[in-house]
Amino acid sequence: MTIDELKSYDGRNNRRAYIAYKDVVYDVTQSSLWQEGEHQGMHSAGVDLTSALSGAPHGDEVFKEFPVVATLQREESTTKKEPLPPQDFKTDLRIFYKKYHPHPITVHFPIALHLFAAGFDIAFLNTFKEIYAVLVFYALFIATVMGFVAMLPGVLSWWINYNLSTQRPFVVKLIVATITLILGVIAIEIYLQDPNVIYSYTTPSIIYHAIILLTGLNVIILGYYGGKISWGNLGEEKMQTVSFDMNEPNIMMSSGSTEQESPRLFSAPASSVKIASDERNLADNAHQVSISILIGGAAGLGIDTLEKILSNAFKASGYYVYSTKEFMSRVRGGSNTTLLRIANFPVQAPCWEVDISVAMDALALEHMKERWHHDTLILADESFSGDNSNVIAIAMKESAKKFGNAQYGNTYIAGLLFGILGLEKSFLLQSIDKHFKGEGSNKEVAELGFQTGTEIENLTLPKLPNTDIKAVEKLHLMDGTTACGFGFLAGGCNMITAYPMSPSTGVLNFMASMSKEFDIALEQSEDEIASLMMTLGGWYGGARAMTSTSGGGFALMGEALSLSGMTETPAVIYLAQRPGPATGLPTRTEQGDLNLALYSGHGPFPRVLLAPGSLQECIDYGYLAFELADKYQIPVIFLSDQYLADTIMMSKDVDFSSYEQRRYITKSAGDYERYADTKNGISPRAIPSFGEGLICAVGDEHDERGQITEDYKMREQMVGKRARKNDELTREAIAPLCKGEGDIAIIGWGSSKGAIAEALERLDDKRLEHVHFVWIHPLSKEQLSVLDDYKYRIVVENNADGAFADQLKLHGVHVDEQILQSNGFSFFVDQLVEMIEKSLKELS
Amino acid sequence: MSHLFDRENVDVAWCPGCGNFGILKLIKEVLEELEVDKNNTVIVSGIGQAAKAPYYVDTNMFGVLHGRALPAATGIKMANPNLTVIAEGGDGDMYGEGGNHFIHTIRRNVNIVHIVHNNMVYGLTKGQASPTSQKGFETKVQVNGVSNEPFNPLAVALSLRAGFVSRVSIGNAQHAKEVLKAAFEHHGYALVDIFQPCVTFNKTNTYHWFKDNTYTLDEGHDDSDFNAALQKAFEVMPMPLGILYQDKKSVLTFEEHIRKSEAKALYLNTHDISKIQNLFDSY
Ligand SMILES: Cc1ncc(C[n+]2csc(CCOP(=O)(O)OP(=O)(O)O)c2C)c(N)n1
Ligand code: SF4
Ligand SMILES: [Mg+2]
Repeated sequence: MTIDELKSYDGRNNRRAYIAYKDVVYDVTQSSLWQEGEHQGMHSAGVDLTSALSGAPHGDEVFKEFPVVATLQREESTTKKEPLPPQDFKTDLRIFYKKYHPHPITVHFPIALHLFAAGFDIAFLNTFKEIYAVLVFYALFIATVMGFVAMLPGVLSWWINYNLSTQRPFVVKLIVATITLILGVIAIEIYLQDPNVIYSYTTPSIIYHAIILLTGLNVIILGYYGGKISWGNLGEEKMQTVSFDMNEPNIMMSSGSTEQESPRLFSAPASSVKIASDERNLADNAHQVSISILIGGAAGLGIDTLEKILSNAFKASGYYVYSTKEFMSRVRGGSNTTLLRIANFPVQAPCWEVDISVAMDALALEHMKERWHHDTLILADESFSGDNSNVIAIAMKESAKKFGNAQYGNTYIAGLLFGILGLEKSFLLQSIDKHFKGEGSNKEVAELGFQTGTEIENLTLPKLPNTDIKAVEKLHLMDGTTACGFGFLAGGCNMITAYPMSPSTGVLNFMASMSKEFDIALEQSEDEIASLMMTLGGWYGGARAMTSTSGGGFALMGEALSLSGMTETPAVIYLAQRPGPATGLPTRTEQGDLNLALYSGHGPFPRVLLAPGSLQECIDYGYLAFELADKYQIPVIFLSDQYLADTIMMSKDVDFSSYEQRRYITKSAGDYERYADTKNGISPRAIPSFGEGLICAVGDEHDERGQITEDYKMREQMVGKRARKNDELTREAIAPLCKGEGDIAIIGWGSSKGAIAEALERLDDKRLEHVHFVWIHPLSKEQLSVLDDYKYRIVVENNADGAFADQLKLHGVHVDEQILQSNGFSFFVDQLVEMIEKSLKELS
Repeated sequence: MSHLFDRENVDVAWCPGCGNFGILKLIKEVLEELEVDKNNTVIVSGIGQAAKAPYYVDTNMFGVLHGRALPAATGIKMANPNLTVIAEGGDGDMYGEGGNHFIHTIRRNVNIVHIVHNNMVYGLTKGQASPTSQKGFETKVQVNGVSNEPFNPLAVALSLRAGFVSRVSIGNAQHAKEVLKAAFEHHGYALVDIFQPCVTFNKTNTYHWFKDNTYTLDEGHDDSDFNAALQKAFEVMPMPLGILYQDKKSVLTFEEHIRKSEAKALYLNTHDISKIQNLFDSY
């Protein structure tokens, strides 16, 4: 409604009473404080009270009690913004301020001295000793001079950090400070005219003493409001910078009750990020040792088995293990590699150059060449090792043949590697036992390999330091797919309908295996359209349903996604990205579907995009996906990719009892209305056969009952209702995680977290700070404002379009440099180090 | 006559004389006569003139997208097998846009009643050919007449071994009611294709046309005989009306299979967290 229309709702003569505040129109007719459209004899209904509120004895919380009826449309001129002061100078000043705090430094002097003067003036008035009188005057004199000194940076700070905000504390401070200074000058003047006058009982003397005492009071007021500005929730309060750890939970679940009508998820968005003890910082950087092993061979040679045996054995030996695969889109043949990294610190990223390279066939030897450095230990079977003097020929095939099965080549290599690394043999044998359950001669072959390994001269490999076996034992080795699966289970997922598509199928498989343990309804649908439609049917019927897919399948879901938005039926969509367009590189990785996820579906509707970057985030945000979908009745798109899905890392213990099992389902009353308009836009959601009411959910525009309507007012009301959910969601946004103290932000999102983190550790450059986003959409401008404090912002994305940087720009963030890659690999930490160095050079 | 299933305060969007009115009445009467619990019933519909029917029936409803009623209905049955679920829509909705779902919902044997208003035309989009339009049918788009072979829903359903396959004409409401009741009583997927004249956009397939070109199956037809049913499905001019095929053996339905014996509504469930914990810890 417009300001003119608003005027007619003045509350008089039984008309309804509406007021506007910050572009939202509230109905105050029922309020006892607004009888006949009058409030406290000061304000009348039918007007915009936004500016009036700053002088009110209450904040805007009072509006929460009133129903929202419309939004206020303003004429162009009233919303026009003042041109902003030049951005760069201001940013520089802000950085300076962040470091040196000139106002707090100077402001303590006048405060202390004014109080000092007031105290001694009381003493003077009781004793009339001259020494006190002198003390009082000098204190006042310096206090006033310092008052000017302190006020200048204060006013500057008001401009730089708070955009000349007219909120109460700023206004009070300005007025009181000015009065204090003027009074100070007057008192000094009185004293200088005739120092003896202050002993008398004359007007100047009374004024003088009154000023001394009053300014003492003033500085208390100034101090109080200063504190409020620094520590309270005022103005553009700066987001807390929190450190994070790969393994620590990033979300703190609020312990709110399971209220159904007004469900709460987080107590406060920003503070719900738990500050974790960062284990990596505790470990001494200098003693971080890692060894990388690249194993290459055709599909079908059993590299996966080797990967499993080795990673379990390394873990049992007390090392952190990491492994990632790179494979071709074929079931047999080709040339695939698996990269294993073992270390005495939690490794979370792949490296391009490797310390050991094992070729299972001739093609692999060729395929891995590029990834060798000077001292790479290269192992190949004697049958194809050739005459390259760097390659160590091993009798892999021969030994395997001796035991009568070519498949033993795997176990031979496992033994060989254990021997080369000088690890305890028994851990490997246990792992082999566990895997093969004692079948065949695997152990003997491994022992043979081990023996050969110990004989290989290896001068260049770093020695792995001893570790705390017990500590590593408690960790859990799993891939991103499995971690997401556990997150979804924790989120109460009890239904999945999906169509197979790499690299998302792992989640469908995981849920299928879990359906033997839990009551989970599962169906492989005929296509992705059916997948999402079944998921929506599931939520409508009361399930917590999800679907899993990759880019191509997700593209097919567009219309159903829009239906989820319109009917306000929740949905969780696990979208494991792979490089497109079209079929692209089916088994490789990219962060290329951000725009698709963000913009697919016709018509605007609220949605959430989450992109985890570690196992812990897979679990936390997997849970959160269901909570948000249910609470806000929206589609939540969970962005993973082939890299994260297929990479095995280590997770700390997770306490699943901390994931509260909430359901946001209302028991319906007889007059239940599915789309009842509410303040925050969220209508209580009921389901069929639970309660007395009927549930009418529709994809056409509808009224509150869920009946089709084309009434333009109802249309506007419903558009507004859906949009308000987005506002509410934005308030719940989880802030990016910042690690470091530098003034150059290296910004990443989703699966690149590990690579960026390790690259920054390797760079060990105090200027750099890692900013990691998991909550991708909707972004909160307030939270993003923290990015303004950096000198430079470099955005790292594993895609060609820099879609996330575009989102940042759209929200007013300046992007200085972009690091992009779209070759089908995820970021290799050693290559990323170089890319960041190059960007830094370009900036300086 | 007052109906338990009348919805109040609705603005019916159909043309006067349309066959949809008869179908609406039919559905409401069958629900009432079978004493179906309205709180426990959901009608899922797509988009089209036919798909508006559930807006006028006082039960739960989920109005989805053109062509997508069947997978939504399937999802509802997965979540709560105890609900009575009806999927309703037009011939374009169910056999055209939703053709793939038609095939696979039958294969699944989801326990729903599938009602298709077959007016051999696209009503809502103002008169284009539908998958069931007869050859030669002229429209603003098919200016030289339809050349595609008409879709035969009954034969398709039978070939996919649907457990209940029927066709009625709203011109014979009494007969239609008997068949629809039988469909509700069938355990498993049940197809009811209803001939419905569109008085505005289909001047060919009128009430008269349907009367002249159909006949009602009598006792002579054994509806448990699959081969006989298949033969009937291909009969044209006149086309048979009635239950072509009905499998009275209790075949396992989709939801019985995937939810096993436990057909509890999923909203009543939460997972055993200690079990999740143990499974996670085993990694
Ligand atoms: C994806 C999509 N494509 C096209 C349409 C437009 N559309 C609406 S109804 C309809 C056909 C209606 O025919 P039918 O299903 O036979 O229903 P009737 O109106 O004849 O009852 C079409 C093409 C749509 N709503 N959505
Ligand atoms: S267009 Fe045809 S089907 Fe639609 S209401 Fe009118 S007569 Fe009925
Ligand atoms: Mg039709």
